[in-house]
Amino acid sequence: MNSKDVERADGATHAHALPIALRGVSKSFAGIKVVTQVSFDIRPGEVHALMGENGAGKSTMIKIMAGLHQADEGEILINGQPVRFASPRDAHAAGIATVHQELLLFPELTVAENIFLGQTPKTGLGTIDWQAMRARARELLDSLDSGDLDIDQKVASLSVGNRQRIEIARALAQDARVLIMDEPTAALAEADVQRLMAIVRSLRARGVAIVYVSHRMPEIFALADRVTVLRDGHHVATKNVSEVDEPQLVSMMVGRAIDRLYPAKQGVDGEVILELRDVSYRGVIRGISLKLKRGEILGLAGLVGSGRTETALTVFGITPATSGQIVIDGKPEHISSPEAARDLGIAYVPEDRGQQGLIRSQTIEDNIALANLKRLMRGFMVDAAKVTAEARKAIERFGIRARGPQQLVRQLSGGNQQKVVLGKWLATNPRILIMDEPTRGIDVGAKAEIHQLMRKLAGEGMAILMISSELPEVLGMSDRVLVMNSGRIVGEFDRQAATAEAVGTAMTRSYSREDAA
Amino acid sequence: MTASKLLRHETILAVLTIIALAVLASLSDKFFTAENLLNQGRLMSEVGLVALAMTFVIVTGGIDLSVGSILGLTAILLGVFWKNLGLPLPLAIAGALACGTFAGWVNGFIITRFSVPPLIATLATLALYRGLAEGISEARSVRGYPEWFYVFGQGEILGVPFQLWILGIATVVSAVILGLTPFGRATYAIGANETAARFSGIRVHATKLWIYTAAGFVSALAAVIFVSRVTTTRSDMGTGLELDVITGVVLGGTSIFGGRGTIIGTVLGLILIQALKNGLALSGVKGDGTIVVIGLVLIGAILIGAMFDKNRGG
Repeated sequence: MNSKDVERADGATHAHALPIALRGVSKSFAGIKVVTQVSFDIRPGEVHALMGENGAGKSTMIKIMAGLHQADEGEILINGQPVRFASPRDAHAAGIATVHQELLLFPELTVAENIFLGQTPKTGLGTIDWQAMRARARELLDSLDSGDLDIDQKVASLSVGNRQRIEIARALAQDARVLIMDEPTAALAEADVQRLMAIVRSLRARGVAIVYVSHRMPEIFALADRVTVLRDGHHVATKNVSEVDEPQLVSMMVGRAIDRLYPAKQGVDGEVILELRDVSYRGVIRGISLKLKRGEILGLAGLVGSGRTETALTVFGITPATSGQIVIDGKPEHISSPEAARDLGIAYVPEDRGQQGLIRSQTIEDNIALANLKRLMRGFMVDAAKVTAEARKAIERFGIRARGPQQLVRQLSGGNQQKVVLGKWLATNPRILIMDEPTRGIDVGAKAEIHQLMRKLAGEGMAILMISSELPEVLGMSDRVLVMNSGRIVGEFDRQAATAEAVGTAMTRSYSREDAA
Repeated sequence: MTASKLLRHETILAVLTIIALAVLASLSDKFFTAENLLNQGRLMSEVGLVALAMTFVIVTGGIDLSVGSILGLTAILLGVFWKNLGLPLPLAIAGALACGTFAGWVNGFIITRFSVPPLIATLATLALYRGLAEGISEARSVRGYPEWFYVFGQGEILGVPFQLWILGIATVVSAVILGLTPFGRATYAIGANETAARFSGIRVHATKLWIYTAAGFVSALAAVIFVSRVTTTRSDMGTGLELDVITGVVLGGTSIFGGRGTIIGTVLGLILIQALKNGLALSGVKGDGTIVVIGLVLIGAILIGAMFDKNRGG
């Protein structure tokens, strides 16, 4: 690691020592080039960050290294030898393991069984050697500083952080020399992030090469030795992390400098359009009262499980309120279904894009039409021309990067998928827009675009209720912040009063029932 | 869903059907005659009608195993209403249709209200409705319907069997509904991702309820035609019908996982099966041989479809 500069000087002679090197790799899908002539290498005992906006080609590169995709051009060298991975199995055999964003574990099997799935230790009789398996599992987890995990427990009952450690143990059980981690911290709580980083460091010390994909700058600077930036499928640069700073990285990723992180408020607040009076849903949210004005962005902060999404679902009619009143434009309304909510001018951009927001197997135009069918008709039939026109409008308005309205949504990057969800809902001409984690899993460029769009919409009189787990986003975007904790609203802050300390304290404080009541 | 994308499986199927027709015609000179083809159309009408509704059911990702039992139950009720209760025959027909439709609604209600998987719900009603049919009929058959009643199953209009007209009209209506209306869009959306459909303001439960109710209605309609064609009512009518229907729909390219399928595909699938059954019988192939061929064709069509599907992925 310390000999970095020396190695770089005559890297070619050391090629045989590189666990993995990519040379001029290109890949196309359905005629679209998603990766063009990308070359970089990973050295043993380094954490190599792979960065880029969504759609920049990171996922494709990872999948090529993991044997899930095959490169159209270029070659992969393992220890200097060109290889061709026909399947993930070949990549495993070459010592490359991947911890995917969606953890691929079997919930009904135990921790030990998951770690050794596909490589179970056998006895002389060919049956599973349980003793050896359990002992090895124990050993592996101990080496990951996770001695607290019960190896006989079913994975279903474990937290995301624990499951991730099991995936890592599984990679180690395969004697992986290259470990690819795809956004490992995206779904982790802060404590787990720290623990993960400690594990990554210890793996590095053991000589494992780690390819680390993340959008989070602090992690990159805390962990990575080198960083490779991709943009639009091209290799922009590979640098030592010590040689770059955050603004440089961002501009390398987006190809331009992002001037302001959060756009300033435009226009003034109007009259109250949505009011919740003592609204409850079962025991999940209790006695929620809030007012949302036209032209304002109201931030809803809180920890995961504090009732923010549940409040949104109640306003949107997925889980209709069991008591209390929802008042829209001064009129009490009973919102019993998403359909009713939509017809009242409420739009909801859900937190789980793939599951709730989009039908990924359908086209952009099908998705956008879905919430707008009544408007896009001629007689009793859906007017295909109107549907396409509506989709073209959205593609243009939101700058969705796609081949056209007929492209399948699953082929788009995360940011563009989110824009399709937005396009679908803004086409309904809503007056109230609820955005649940509007920029989760989205790269910096698309994130800034979505923030600007939210501001613009508010400036035009839209009332926006924003739920976010990113405190900087809540503080940067909101005109007012409400904090939820254990199903109740426990604090309200205007823009000046909403500091990270004040909001953070309200979020994490444990309120007893009497306090909150 | 754009037409070009979906028509791919249908194109393969159409080619396959034409080849089958050509081969069968060369094997027996009795096969490719107007008389034989129209007669085959008559024979496939009942399965065909139910398959139209089944296409909707399967596109939503569901299944309806009870259609054969609904047919049997409706047939029995028709006889009972007319003979035992002494209702005028038109009224008995209307009553039987209403009962079949209600049976379908019950399926939909169980599935949507209590979130029972369609496979389980209709497996239960498959037994329930058949049991009712047998209990009500007490193993007696009903015969001696008035002459005019036989027009549904044996009559002709302009030389074409009566029920083939009904099947034709029903095909056009369901193709328009599935392919061109908001209801059809909702059907595809539910099958592809029910949660996202719900979050988009689609009335998921209402849509499903309509579809299962419609399946009950067409099964009842098929029952009336069936009784009229064979001039008698028995409680075991329509046994195994669900499998013929599902075979046709799946052969037609409808994904059993939901989200994909067309009426044109279903119709092609039905024609191919009926042509094979009849053509092979005329060429002297025994019954078991025909079933083997149908099984092989089904597997072949699905493999070809899967191949194309893979090439499309990205």
